[in-house]
Amino acid sequence: MIGREEVIRMATLARLELSEEEIELYTRDLNSFLVSGKKLQQVDVSGITGTSHAVSVIHALRRDEVGESLPREAVLAEGPEVLDGYFKVPRIVEGQE
Amino acid sequence: MKYDVVIGLEIHVALLTESKFLCSCSTAFGAPPNTQCCPVCLGLPGSLPVVNEKAVEYAVKAGLALNCQVHTFSRFDRKNYFYPDLPKAYQITQDTYPLCTDGFLEYYIDDELRCTAITRLHLEEEAGKLIHSGSSIVDSEYSLVDYNRAGIPLIEIVTAPDITSPRQARLFLEQLRLVMRYIGVSDVKMEEGSLRCDANISLKPQGSPVLGTKVEIKNLNSFRALERALEYEVKRQSAVLERGGKIKQESRTWDERAGRTLSMRSKGDAPDYRYFPEPDLPPLQLDPAWVNCLKDTLPELPLARLRRLEESYGLSRYEATFLVNYPDFGDLFLELAKAGEDNTALVNLLMGDYARLAREQGHLAPGRIAELLRIVAEGLITHNQSKAVLEELFRSPLSPREIVRDKGWEVLRDAEQLRAMVQEALAANPDIVSRYRAGEERLWGYLVGQVMRAAAGKADPKVVNELLKEELARG
Amino acid sequence: MRELAELLQTGQVSSTELVIACLEQIKQTDGVINAFLTVDEQGALEQAAQSDARRARGEALSPWDGIPVAIKDNISTRGLRTTCASRILRNYHPVYDATVVERLKQAGLPILGKTNLDEFAMGSSTEYSAFGVTKNPHDPARVAGGSSGGSAAAVAAGQVPWALGTDTGGSIRQPSSFCGVVGLKPTYGRVSRYGVVALAPSLDQVGPLAKTVEEAAALFSLIAGEDPRDATSAGAPAFQVPRWNAAVVQGLRVGVPEEFFSSGLNAEVEAAVRRSLRTLEEQGAVLKPISLATNDYAIDTYLTLVTAEASSCLARFDGVRYGERVAAPDANTMFAKTRGAGFGAEVKRRIMLGTYVLSASHYEAYYEQAQRVRTLIKLEIARAFEQVDVIITPTTPSTAFRIGEKRNPLEMYLSDLYTATANLSGICALSLPCGYDSQGLPIGLQIMGDHYQEELVFQVGRVVEASVERGPKVEV
Repeated sequence: MIGREEVIRMATLARLELSEEEIELYTRDLNSFLVSGKKLQQVDVSGITGTSHAVSVIHALRRDEVGESLPREAVLAEGPEVLDGYFKVPRIVEGQE
Repeated sequence: MKYDVVIGLEIHVALLTESKFLCSCSTAFGAPPNTQCCPVCLGLPGSLPVVNEKAVEYAVKAGLALNCQVHTFSRFDRKNYFYPDLPKAYQITQDTYPLCTDGFLEYYIDDELRCTAITRLHLEEEAGKLIHSGSSIVDSEYSLVDYNRAGIPLIEIVTAPDITSPRQARLFLEQLRLVMRYIGVSDVKMEEGSLRCDANISLKPQGSPVLGTKVEIKNLNSFRALERALEYEVKRQSAVLERGGKIKQESRTWDERAGRTLSMRSKGDAPDYRYFPEPDLPPLQLDPAWVNCLKDTLPELPLARLRRLEESYGLSRYEATFLVNYPDFGDLFLELAKAGEDNTALVNLLMGDYARLAREQGHLAPGRIAELLRIVAEGLITHNQSKAVLEELFRSPLSPREIVRDKGWEVLRDAEQLRAMVQEALAANPDIVSRYRAGEERLWGYLVGQVMRAAAGKADPKVVNELLKEELARG
Repeated sequence: MRELAELLQTGQVSSTELVIACLEQIKQTDGVINAFLTVDEQGALEQAAQSDARRARGEALSPWDGIPVAIKDNISTRGLRTTCASRILRNYHPVYDATVVERLKQAGLPILGKTNLDEFAMGSSTEYSAFGVTKNPHDPARVAGGSSGGSAAAVAAGQVPWALGTDTGGSIRQPSSFCGVVGLKPTYGRVSRYGVVALAPSLDQVGPLAKTVEEAAALFSLIAGEDPRDATSAGAPAFQVPRWNAAVVQGLRVGVPEEFFSSGLNAEVEAAVRRSLRTLEEQGAVLKPISLATNDYAIDTYLTLVTAEASSCLARFDGVRYGERVAAPDANTMFAKTRGAGFGAEVKRRIMLGTYVLSASHYEAYYEQAQRVRTLIKLEIARAFEQVDVIITPTTPSTAFRIGEKRNPLEMYLSDLYTATANLSGICALSLPCGYDSQGLPIGLQIMGDHYQEELVFQVGRVVEASVERGPKVEV
């Protein structure tokens, strides 16, 4: 069983502000998902390596050549708040994990 | 109680590639904010990373130089955390399968050779830069983000907890910097952040096999800061233990001005980074032949050079260390020594006035240095005069011989001319002469000096000595 | 499309006329269908005029120069709003084109607009779009499927000749099946993902949706092939529309996996698919019963992997560089409020699940386990393709369901029951109509082929297509 506290911990990790109803909803959802996970855990995978990439590709590197960067107006164009050529963010408080 | 100090370091080195790790933006330092950015390093939705092969090459070189096992299979992982300077809210790094493991670095503490084990070395991307509105992050109302730095390739090097003193930590880091500089993969400047270091430190009762609780120290922006912060921690932790207290597992930051470490966060709330394999990048698979080829191209490393300078060139530890620490001087020395110049005269020249002038104005062409040494050896000028010629070499395009000729600095050897000067000097100092004769032999030097002064420093000291002896004997 | 290409070539129709006809059809039908989130009327007309000018000079960029296309709204289009059907990106205008968009522009295709989807492609019905559900042109009370529901409905409703979609677990094939159009999920890596907003990068692929197999193949030929900006596309071959050859089915070994014809399958769907299989057999194909037992785990594996990857991919929407921001006194609160307000319920659900399966204490039991089961699925598929040339199954267990019918998210996830295996194993799979049920709703048939076997899959698809009677024309 996943408890409410675990759900809140996940929401904090994922930086999601949830309402009380959402916390309840996702507590239920996470628990029903556990059934799915438990089913997978029954599968015998001894000696099997995990697949992280669907198709194996060998050489996929690029040469060390400088290409064009975006003009600064384009970089900042979509920024919700910008100042003097920078993106602006509110006060950073450490240790909130 | 006496304590053993246990220190491990985590070092980040920015690699000197032209373009970033995962995109083609420039890595040049000091550009206006947010002008070296593209969809990839800004983490725009849909953008994808592609690894710079030079970054891989440099990381492999670094691994080889640190005697690591270079793995032909390694993999990239995502390290997930939120921070305004991290564009994708995850960092592409290598967690489970790092590029290099199991290396070591040897270095001297005074005359003692030490070896520190390197646990791992892996590739990862740099974050952007934050500028705080206040004097520090704590008292800032807002912060500004510049992503020019985001995506520059880094290697992270983690040592085993092998280091037993703050000074050793510093010497290790200095040696590591030197190695990186020798292989040319980074400019390793702590002040520009291209070399950074965090330290883990714990104390345990002397001889105890059980490790103490470790504390991580961050924000070490210089070699001095590293040593001072660790010294401070040794004192702080032993005081806590003496009082019968317990060390808290935590991260602390070094406050340079206050000269102390401050608690940042306790490890109890250590972030959960949710590492998993980076699906956008296929695993890195290296050709063993290519790795061997890189091994063959590695230059001579600092320790090997130190030994060669001592053993093959008969230099003292002090001289050899100077040449190793300033590789440009070392290269110059080796080139000239190979050309047959006298090792002692050469190293004395390089470590003397030359070092000061070359640092201000850049090196002289080796040929001009060789000629200077030769005209001193030939006796064309005195050792004393050679300093003036050296100064002149940094100002003038002329060769040493041309300078000597132009300035009329050739040594005065004409016995008749010099004899007159000697006689004049004796005549002008009757007092000294009589005291000398009475047995005050130390006045010999004064008399030589008088003659030299008359000859404007150009007189051949050997001839002057002979003549002075003759004239005094004549009485 | 060949007809359209010929009409353009011979000057009987202009690109401008085509675009105007599409815009007209959108105006008439999209009030009901809601396939488009953005219609770029001006841009499309300008591109059409340029195309007409090129044709007049005899400088057509490709045989399809001038045929308009629609793009799913999770694919970046420079200067053209790209919302991913999410509130958090409702005003986001990318500064760059996805590689696939760039390639379509290079072939001269005017971009008509951006199509609806489930928010960030998370869903199977477009009901999770922040901007309203897309309705099925065959029955507006029913869903168009998803997540590429907008693209499928737009093609089915005749609003655009063809469109691009993305497919992570069935998101091209399932809506194609529901809307009675042809859709391809290409081999993983064969089409560049650069500029495609990621849901789960180890599973995502861009693919074509069109009215016919030939048209789908033509659109695929414009987007396939290696892209230096997508490392996972390294070495991927380009694609050319083949010379069609019905003889390809003679001696063709067709795998029929029993697990895909089991209890959950609607009888009418089964009957239609089996009818097509019989037709192939009559034309010389050899039907081989095979077993894909691991398909039983496909949805659970898929769900674990997709939520994990999505939780990471969607972390970048933090209100710093782009997108909506909810103001707060400190950065962490700003992140949480921005994301809490910007994402819809399903996106939050998947982020929560994904965060859970990746968290340190659950990683091994969930995420890593799923990766290892994925290997079993891949191995089983590889073994199957040692015995057969293609595998044929229904695309979905049922035809289009009613809007609001599936309330339980887990039930919704089962829509991908037959499609997720192709994504997990990286193979290609085509869905095409193979008939209609008694309510007149299209039934989809899926042809799976091994890695890079798109040509074979299209060839077989064309034979199936030829044998299927054209169903009722879509009335809107």
